[in-house]
Amino acid sequence: MNEEKKKGTEAKKAVKELVYGMAMHDMVRYSLKTRMYLEHLFMLITLGDMLGIPLLPPYYSLKMLPYAVPNIKSWQRRLFRERDFTDSLY
Amino acid sequence: MAETMKEFFERRPELNCIIFAGKGGLGKTTFSAATSHWLAEQGKRTLCFSTDPQASLSDIFERDIYGKGIQSFAPNLHVLEIDSDKRVNEYQESIRKKILDMYNLKELPKEIDEYIKAAASEPAMHESATYDAMAELMVKRDHSYYVFDMPPFGHGIRMVSMALILDTWIDKITELRMKAREYDEAMAALRGRTEAEKEDVILKELTEIREKLDFFSGVLTDSKRTAFFMVLIPEKMAILDTERALKMFDSMKLNLSGIIVNMVYPPELLKMKDLGDFLKHRIEMQQRYMKVIWEKFEPYIRAVVPMYDREPKGLKMIAKVAGDLFGWKLER
Repeated sequence: MNEEKKKGTEAKKAVKELVYGMAMHDMVRYSLKTRMYLEHLFMLITLGDMLGIPLLPPYYSLKMLPYAVPNIKSWQRRLFRERDFTDSLY
Repeated sequence: MAETMKEFFERRPELNCIIFAGKGGLGKTTFSAATSHWLAEQGKRTLCFSTDPQASLSDIFERDIYGKGIQSFAPNLHVLEIDSDKRVNEYQESIRKKILDMYNLKELPKEIDEYIKAAASEPAMHESATYDAMAELMVKRDHSYYVFDMPPFGHGIRMVSMALILDTWIDKITELRMKAREYDEAMAALRGRTEAEKEDVILKELTEIREKLDFFSGVLTDSKRTAFFMVLIPEKMAILDTERALKMFDSMKLNLSGIIVNMVYPPELLKMKDLGDFLKHRIEMQQRYMKVIWEKFEPYIRAVVPMYDREPKGLKMIAKVAGDLFGWKLER
């Protein structure tokens, strides 16, 4: 009895993951990407003077700084990277 | 007919933020102290706050209060003179500590440390720190009256314009952050979770800043709650400067609440027989400019305060100035 129940939930889970993979995964991936753009835009506005683009008065930039620390490296890498048109394909 | 200083305060019971602006050396700090003294005497809990980087309330009250937090030496009268250098340093330290604690680091990454140093040395940093201190004080609402003694540059009005710009900035950034939050929530839903994984701490921090700034800029632009006074002396430069300031007020859609004319030699002295030429000429010159001042600024004039035979320093002299400032009546 128990064994059957377990099988049932496992099958349910598999179906759920299949549906997720087919229908949702791309949407989530796309959303995550947009979310990253938003995060980087936010960082550009608040910490722009790190790249020589002063936008927000520094007093409040510093307030935001601690939360941005883990993202700073990837943000700078993305902004400083050389680009060409093939970038937009991915 | 011009309202006197006393009438002005009596007719505006909602008033709680008083700002003295104008050229340096004309007596802004003296009048800030005198106004605070008078209000405290009326039984109102009053805080006198100097935002001038050159310590001056210490001189006027003849106590060393610079950078020592809120001090009190008369009933209801509280005085605060912030050391903005110290404040900026402490602020920097707190940010460093926060980063170290948040990520369990022993020392800061080099570029972040450099960034903190560079940001703190920007000129706007001190202004923002002072402004933030003002906003923080007002949000607490511990006092019935806040009297701000502004630094001379830009008539202290620049501080207000900065406030409004900052306010808009923070609003915009918060909007952006909210959008990011929407994405978090949508993704959580797509992945079959009901809530986004974690609360957005940045949004929380931004909302806190925004509420503080919104409140303060709301007070500053409300003529029922905030009064701007300018100090003027009967000399050409000061008159021209006041005209410019009036234009600045207009362009920012703020109202100037009043002008106080300071350092006026008593014209009765002219009747004295043995009055020297030096004083005589000076008094005559002042009287000529007084006429100009009445013509140009009559609706704004709230008081005319005399020149004293000694520097207005110490509680006793401040009480005297307060008496002259709030006891002035138009004699004609």
